[in-house]
Amino acid sequence: MKTFAFTCGAALLGLGAAQTPALAQEKTLTISVYALSQDEYKQIVYDPFQKLCGCKLVVETGNSVERLAKMEANKASPVVDMAVVSMADALAAARAGLTDKIDTAKLSNFGKLYDLAKDPNGDGMSVGYTFYATSIAYRSDKMKIESWADLLKPEYASHIAWPNVTTNQGPPALFMLGKAVGKDTPDLKGAITAVGEKKDEIVTFYEKSSQLVQLMKQEEIWAAPIGRFTWAPFTKLGLPVAWATPKEGQTGGMNVMIVTKGSKNRELATQFMDFWLSTEVQTKLAEKFIDSPANRDVKVSDEIAANLTYGEETARSLKLIPSATALDNRAGWVKSWNEAVGQ
Amino acid sequence: MFQNRAEALALALPAAIFAAAVFLVPVLILLSDGFRNPVVDGVGGGWTLSAFTDFFSSSLNQTVFLRTLRLGAIVTVVSAVIGYAAAFAIVSLDPVAKGRVTGLVVLPLMISPVARTYAWIVILGRTGIVNQAFQALGITQAPLRILFSETAIFIGLLQLFLPLMIISLISALENMPKDAIPAARVLGANWFQVFWKVVLPLTREGLVIGGTLVFTGSLTAYITPAILGGSKVLMLETLMYQQVAVSSNFVAASVIAFILIVMSFAANILLKRVATARNKVRAAA
Repeated sequence: MKTFAFTCGAALLGLGAAQTPALAQEKTLTISVYALSQDEYKQIVYDPFQKLCGCKLVVETGNSVERLAKMEANKASPVVDMAVVSMADALAAARAGLTDKIDTAKLSNFGKLYDLAKDPNGDGMSVGYTFYATSIAYRSDKMKIESWADLLKPEYASHIAWPNVTTNQGPPALFMLGKAVGKDTPDLKGAITAVGEKKDEIVTFYEKSSQLVQLMKQEEIWAAPIGRFTWAPFTKLGLPVAWATPKEGQTGGMNVMIVTKGSKNRELATQFMDFWLSTEVQTKLAEKFIDSPANRDVKVSDEIAANLTYGEETARSLKLIPSATALDNRAGWVKSWNEAVGQ
Repeated sequence: MFQNRAEALALALPAAIFAAAVFLVPVLILLSDGFRNPVVDGVGGGWTLSAFTDFFSSSLNQTVFLRTLRLGAIVTVVSAVIGYAAAFAIVSLDPVAKGRVTGLVVLPLMISPVARTYAWIVILGRTGIVNQAFQALGITQAPLRILFSETAIFIGLLQLFLPLMIISLISALENMPKDAIPAARVLGANWFQVFWKVVLPLTREGLVIGGTLVFTGSLTAYITPAILGGSKVLMLETLMYQQVAVSSNFVAASVIAFILIVMSFAANILLKRVATARNKVRAAA
């Protein structure tokens, strides 16, 4: 009997020993990202990184509010190790104590980033990995767009989609419309009122930009304010769709990486971020029109650049809403919007 | 069937525990948020109805509530009217044809609601076949705006839930005595009287089941109003999603969830009342 027990014990030990290296390999990094272009990210970022680190990547997707709510709910024992969110959401997460400072000394590619991407909120809690312009995609055979206010012209309003205030494109588009109608205040009231006056004519207040391509294709809409990162599919419709350069300028946003406070895989998360920011990965993402590069060493052909938000000059010229303004006014925007547009 | 109640209860226990643990308790926790006074800096707590009064004091929420109720009722009534006609036609077929047609009625239920609803975007668009047909027939000059309206949601919901009404009515009509209609005709009833005084009372239970399924389905459907109505024509479900996913306002969302559950129960009770009231009249007669 004793021998039997001994043999069993030895066998178990043996199994344990055999499993240890396997367990080390099963180290996992959980990331939380936008749901867009996941096939390409898998091919360009996730799979190569898994090979490189010998670890497993768990990818959670969803819109930023959903994902932030999850992070907030799991604050005590974080599930997600790193996340990519908008600049304003990064500030919200930092204010809620969900994130840590990023150890940029460990990011070998940090020095290659455009200055504006290095610390977008000035708190050391985020690093920009891509930025985008927001302007108007429009049917150049049906209309002429020289100003953000042109969208609301009587002959055009019944052929446009406007981003809902709750989307990432909503506030920037209202911000620019406010400039165009000469009512440029942080509460966006002037612009919201202007949209409210045309609410019955406007085709829809979109929440998912993926829907717009279909609407443009079946000529339900002729124009919509969109982020540059959703531009590529419009160019493949076989319709004369152009990117407007309104006289008030373009707006946009920046997406940033954040690390979760209390994450047990900080090293791996940093390694992953560095990989994502590398010239090689950023170039590949740019070439597939997935993300405009934040790494200034990325060089792409003029043809590709035309489909991206490319170069430091472009990025500097974008009129972005400061994160603090966005956070402090967001609730008010939604309230004014619901009063003027939502019913 | 069982020696005593204890045995029967013991058998039901695992299912009951499962349902309580994974459904009832989480739902109650979620719903209780709507009745709690939020604790801010150590002040507050306890129970309150303020979330409900806040909810109904907003004119947007009132509009959305009434729209949801109205669309649910219209979809239910229209599906009952179309459902009776279809069910009559189907039960009068020979058994083979009946099986085939019933299969066709059920078929849409097996297709993803997302695919079905997206098809409507193509069909109802300004360049879609509905508008093309209207213009070709000279009914309209310019294309109608159907998408992102209550009409679009109505069409989507009707298509989604009509099969449930038809199936309920088919089984009700099949259980009706075969000679009831000829007998009523012989005794001089016109077709309206036949339907109102004979068919309706005899199939009322099928109508109640179908009506409850259609009404509660219309109240709680999310994909159809989200795709065909969008944020321009909010319904309670899409408003609830917006409160959770966009505004992170879980209290308002639990208030909406509670309202939806109450509306579903109320519809069921109301429809059952209608049915039993009629039965009592018949029993008394």
